[in-house]
Amino acid sequence: MNDFSELENELKKLRPAQPSPVLFERVEQALEDCRAGALEGTTPARSHYNWWWLGFGLAAAGIVVLFAVISFEREHKLDTARVAQSSPASEMRPEASETEQSRVTGRFVPAGGTNVVYNARDEGLQFAEGSERPVRRLRYQMQQSWRWRNPETGASLRVSYPSEEIVLIPVSGQ
Amino acid sequence: MDFIASHENWRNCFSEVAPGLLLFARQWVQSAADAEDIVQEAFVKFWRRNHNIHNRALLYSAVRSIALDFIRRDKRRARREATVFAETEPSIEPQFELENDTQSALAAAVDSLPHDQREVLVLKIWNDLTFSEIASALRISQNTAASRYRYALSNLKKSLQPQ
Repeated sequence: MNDFSELENELKKLRPAQPSPVLFERVEQALEDCRAGALEGTTPARSHYNWWWLGFGLAAAGIVVLFAVISFEREHKLDTARVAQSSPASEMRPEASETEQSRVTGRFVPAGGTNVVYNARDEGLQFAEGSERPVRRLRYQMQQSWRWRNPETGASLRVSYPSEEIVLIPVSGQ
Repeated sequence: MDFIASHENWRNCFSEVAPGLLLFARQWVQSAADAEDIVQEAFVKFWRRNHNIHNRALLYSAVRSIALDFIRRDKRRARREATVFAETEPSIEPQFELENDTQSALAAAVDSLPHDQREVLVLKIWNDLTFSEIASALRISQNTAASRYRYALSNLKKSLQPQ
């Protein structure tokens, strides 16, 4: 390291530019605002949590709609079968078995799910609003997939959607 | 949370660290005004909770984090910064008060360093951080910090040698 001592001395002689006097006033004003309990920071709080919840909400809504569609189709088939049941006796036999089949074919059972984290990013230390301690912010981007399967017919239903999760881990200072 | 008691101290602390902090912030943004915004936000947040300057790594980490957020927040700006960064990485110029040609050459040599080396150099030389503090601020190992510093000095020495 001694090889570089002369160079280090030369570098230390370079003086970084001084901040503008206005900066001191701005910092003072911001600290005053803090004292008054009205700190708003220099920038508005990020709204990534809203986006996150919006994404989750949409995904949840999509699943609900899918279930509703499946349920509706199943009901529709049952109704059709009931109409068929009230038909003449000669047609009774085959329709009855169709009713049975429709009950079976409408049954989807959960067959598994995956949650693949394809990106994880450490976004560094943050001061979360209202928190006394700094927190480390980790952002995970994932692809979640859920599968349902009809054991009788072998039909399967798969829902896949991207999601994002932000984890704040408190860290302690030294 | 006695801000009155610490109110006088912040000026001393800030006067001491502000030039180095600004220089560090300039590693991420081109404009001095943007760098001042970042430093202001980081220092105010830091001071609100710490009331002293002992845990400096946290302060520099805050500057870095806010600078990255700052870039992300404005996508147009981010694109512009990214373009400049990609095209002319060495020209993210630390701002120095240059007194002579020798210093200008030295500043130009610093500017031409790779970003990761320059970042460590800025923290070590103009902010007096230890390798441990640098490692903590940049979330790298101490060995990496020390090694980047040595590479930076070595590269500087090479570039300043007469051809």
